[in-house]
Amino acid sequence: MKIISKEDFSSFVNALIQDDGLDVEGVKAKGNKFVFGPLDSAGELRLDYDVTILPPKKYFLPQYETMMHFDISTGTVTAPPITNKKVIIGIHPYDLAAIQQMDKYFFDTHVDDIYLQKRKNSILVGIVPVNASETAFYGDLAKASGGPADIAFDLMLTDLGNNYAVLPGSQIGAELLAKANVRDAQPQEMEAVKGAQLHAMDKASRGLKVGPKGWHALLTRNYDSGIWSEQAEKCLSCGSCTLVCPTCFCYDVTDELNLDLTSGVRQRTWDGCLLRDFTKVAPGEVFREDIKDRYRHRFNRKGKYLPDALGFVACVGCGRCSSQCVPDIADPLNLFNMLSESTTESVPDADVQHVPEKHDLAQTIGADLYVPRPATLRRVVKLTEKETLFEIALDDGQPLGHQPGQFVEVSIMGVGEAPISVSSAPGGNTFQIVVRNIGDVTSALHAKKEGDKIGIRGPFGNGFDTAVLKGKNLLFIGGGLGIVPMRSLINYVLDNRQDFGKVMILYGCKDPTELLFNEEVKKWEARDDVIMHKTVDTCAEGETWDGQIGVITTIMPLVTFDPMNTYAIVVGPPIMYRFVNRDLLSMGMPEQNIIVSLERRMKCGVGKCGHCQINGIYVCKEGPVFNYKDVKEHPEAFS
Amino acid sequence: MSDKPRVAFFDFSSCEGCQLQVINLEEALLDVLALVDIVEFREAMKESSEEYDIAIIEGSITRPMDVERIKKIRERASILIAMGACAYLGGIQRMGNKWTPEENKEEVYARHPGSETTKGDDNPFFEQPRHRAVDEIVKVDAVIPGCPIDSDEFAKVLVALLTGKKLPIPDYPVCVECKKNENICQFEIGGFCMGPVARAGCGAPCPTHGGECEACRGYVDHPHSQAHDEVLKKYGLTAEQIMNRKTMYTYRYIEEARGE
Ligand SMILES: Cc1cc2nc3c(=O)[nH]c(=O)nc-3n(C[C@H](O)[C@H](O)[C@H](O)COP(=O)(O)OP(=O)(O)OC[C@H]3O[C@@H](n4cnc5c(N)ncnc54)[C@H](O)[C@@H]3O)c2cc1C
Ligand code: SF4
Ligand code: SF4
Ligand code: SF4
Ligand code: SF4
Ligand code: SF4
Ligand code: FES
Repeated sequence: MKIISKEDFSSFVNALIQDDGLDVEGVKAKGNKFVFGPLDSAGELRLDYDVTILPPKKYFLPQYETMMHFDISTGTVTAPPITNKKVIIGIHPYDLAAIQQMDKYFFDTHVDDIYLQKRKNSILVGIVPVNASETAFYGDLAKASGGPADIAFDLMLTDLGNNYAVLPGSQIGAELLAKANVRDAQPQEMEAVKGAQLHAMDKASRGLKVGPKGWHALLTRNYDSGIWSEQAEKCLSCGSCTLVCPTCFCYDVTDELNLDLTSGVRQRTWDGCLLRDFTKVAPGEVFREDIKDRYRHRFNRKGKYLPDALGFVACVGCGRCSSQCVPDIADPLNLFNMLSESTTESVPDADVQHVPEKHDLAQTIGADLYVPRPATLRRVVKLTEKETLFEIALDDGQPLGHQPGQFVEVSIMGVGEAPISVSSAPGGNTFQIVVRNIGDVTSALHAKKEGDKIGIRGPFGNGFDTAVLKGKNLLFIGGGLGIVPMRSLINYVLDNRQDFGKVMILYGCKDPTELLFNEEVKKWEARDDVIMHKTVDTCAEGETWDGQIGVITTIMPLVTFDPMNTYAIVVGPPIMYRFVNRDLLSMGMPEQNIIVSLERRMKCGVGKCGHCQINGIYVCKEGPVFNYKDVKEHPEAFS
Repeated sequence: MSDKPRVAFFDFSSCEGCQLQVINLEEALLDVLALVDIVEFREAMKESSEEYDIAIIEGSITRPMDVERIKKIRERASILIAMGACAYLGGIQRMGNKWTPEENKEEVYARHPGSETTKGDDNPFFEQPRHRAVDEIVKVDAVIPGCPIDSDEFAKVLVALLTGKKLPIPDYPVCVECKKNENICQFEIGGFCMGPVARAGCGAPCPTHGGECEACRGYVDHPHSQAHDEVLKKYGLTAEQIMNRKTMYTYRYIEEARGE
């Protein structure tokens, strides 16, 4: 540990500011509040601040962030220019802890290279808080977790009156400090630093009754509690609590096309689960329509979902949400205290940490996660009024390499991206998708013709586990567009017919004009090793139809099977699952023999943007194919 | 004559501030002119035309003669856009709907010194019936909210229309953009803000420059107005003051709720 006088610290900061290769950011006053912002001189620094309006997450996931530039006329996509290295001065430990959580989140499974670049490009200078805001409770969290967390920083400051104590936390920090006029700390100064840390904890303690490890149990017990709707009645659905939170990472993606109609940017911008349109999908359905559901989701995400998925509690006790919530219902401390009062049983600890382990940035490598691969439409076949089949080849000549049930993100620069299931069986140098014309991306795709270029990301998600299905009887139940992803598995099974038992296909759609894959369906019907039944909800006068009439459940009794040795693959609109699964269960089929594929709003496809969550699971990453037994544990799955 | 879409601007009861915002596009205006032909635009040029593809309407529909005029415009336009709070909501002038036309006439033309002689009884231009938004009279294909509109949003709407995309008008509240701008919340400094129910897209300029949001862009599709009223009450507004807040730009919703 080193000691630097405040005067010398100012000179040190001013020298950094003079360095053209560095952008120096720090905590400054804004009215009677504080913000992180660019420093013109060390004199602007307000290291005695209590909390900033926005957390430093804005440096790594900016409010509006250009992901790529595009030019439609040339088909080029270019990365935004790399910015200067940033030194960020004055980050409180709770915000550093949040950055560590952010690292874990953005590097899990798929490394977010845009985030990584910004993280690698920044030097973090922390400070032990001198003051705490009225709503902060990081002291409570630290106490409940047995002391301050082990957090990453490059330099950590402690205000000792005339001096700062400075602790380097990395090679970069030590190198930076080498430029400053410092001396070694005396033992009593090291004691003073410990004292300052304890003092900071005390100042931010408000009496949390159940520590963060207990939140999991509180939330599980109280999922249906009346507290949620009571509180949500006051909620403005304004999103502030999520936007200002250092551990909320959800974002939306939009394409901004310039007035020349050829150039523009694809950008991401903060989104939040308290906003109504967060879960809105193309036909207009909103999965969390009730404010209560959105309000409850936020707390569950902090105390239960992210702990389950990534092992940390996604709240660092900064108190921003409660200070920014005008009706004052966003405070986690209040909410968890309320929940703990509602229960007399003791609360068991979940196996979670407050802060995940430090991330080794140098060892983390990322490659274009969001840049689509150029691809060409090889064949365009109109199937119905609204649905068209597109056969696609990747321009690099590689096969897509997908599993049945996986999806791709179809990208049209200047319009956006849409998740679309791969409809063809694995193999071959092209793949097929079938798309309903329903919104911006899908209609732009429909305007394209053979030979036109599009972009593809993926394949993503978990497909059907063909190993589990081997040797079993298979009952396919598809409703409407559900036949599209199902077809990739049906054709895979028919390509490897000898590996499977009985194959039964039940296919239902609204009316005969909406039937997809007419020719293929006829072939399936003609095969003597496939049992096929089709039905329509209604058939207009004069329409020819050689199948059944009635909803899909009416044709289920037409097939007989041994429920123990049969797997049902069910894919269709949300409403269909409730009825079909109910009937399958009553026929004696075990829950784990039912496989479903679920749909939610998606933007990123890689587990980052947050839109596709069903309670704590990410459909894009853990689905879209799920085992019914597992997924039914999540109340939002079929609600 | 080119084959670019022909755009005509028409003004009704308004301050013409929105048309000024279009001219304020400055350099971008040239880009706009590369995409469309402007055939009628009193603010910027004199030429008039009877043929157009896109009619952009500014102002509220107020007098019987306006109703006739807007219907004629609608007949000649394939796309009709309501531009600005006047056209979209009825404008600030809609507050006048709180009183009867007679009361308004009396207040405006009779009670002020010097205007006693011009009660306006026989002059059709002085008729003071109801202020209506354009879509209450004819079908509207697109709206550009705001008082005045935001130049950039005007450009974005045009791009969306020309490329066949949904309008880029958000359905989340102004608080979202306000928070992204890292503002001190008005409620923390003694202000009363409509931001939590107002439709974003403006970039929250009012709270960003230290003022309250007056919801000049109208409400989001599902405003939680009751909760918002509670907040205004909690922060010290009386029921009457709350009502006044809600009549500035958004009297339309009150009239609609009453079934007027
Ligand atoms: C795993 C998965 C597989 C799918 N497979 C198919 C398929 O094979 N064929 C097909 O026609 N449709 C499929 N869909 C639905 C398809 O993604 C939407 O219809 C499409 O995103 C609508 O985009 P849009 O831009 O045309 O509509 P807009 O209304 O303009 O939507 C804007 C954006 O919101 C998101 N979004 C909107 N609706 C949905 C939705 N239903 N699901 C997910 N994100 C949505 C997308 O990011 C979209 O770009 C699938 C959805 C998922 C989640
Ligand atoms: S939930 Fe609230 S207190 Fe916890 S980290 Fe987020 S903003 Fe801070
Ligand atoms: S909890 Fe508060 S901050 Fe969050 S959306 Fe509701 S009103 Fe807004
Ligand atoms: S909306 Fe506002 S700026 Fe536009 S015309 Fe009406 S009063 Fe003027
Ligand atoms: S100032 Fe207004 S718009 Fe901004 S956060 Fe506060 S209430 Fe919302
Ligand atoms: S902040 Fe409110 S009043 Fe200001 S422009 Fe936006 S909607 Fe209108
Ligand atoms: S997290 Fe972005 S789509 Fe799943």
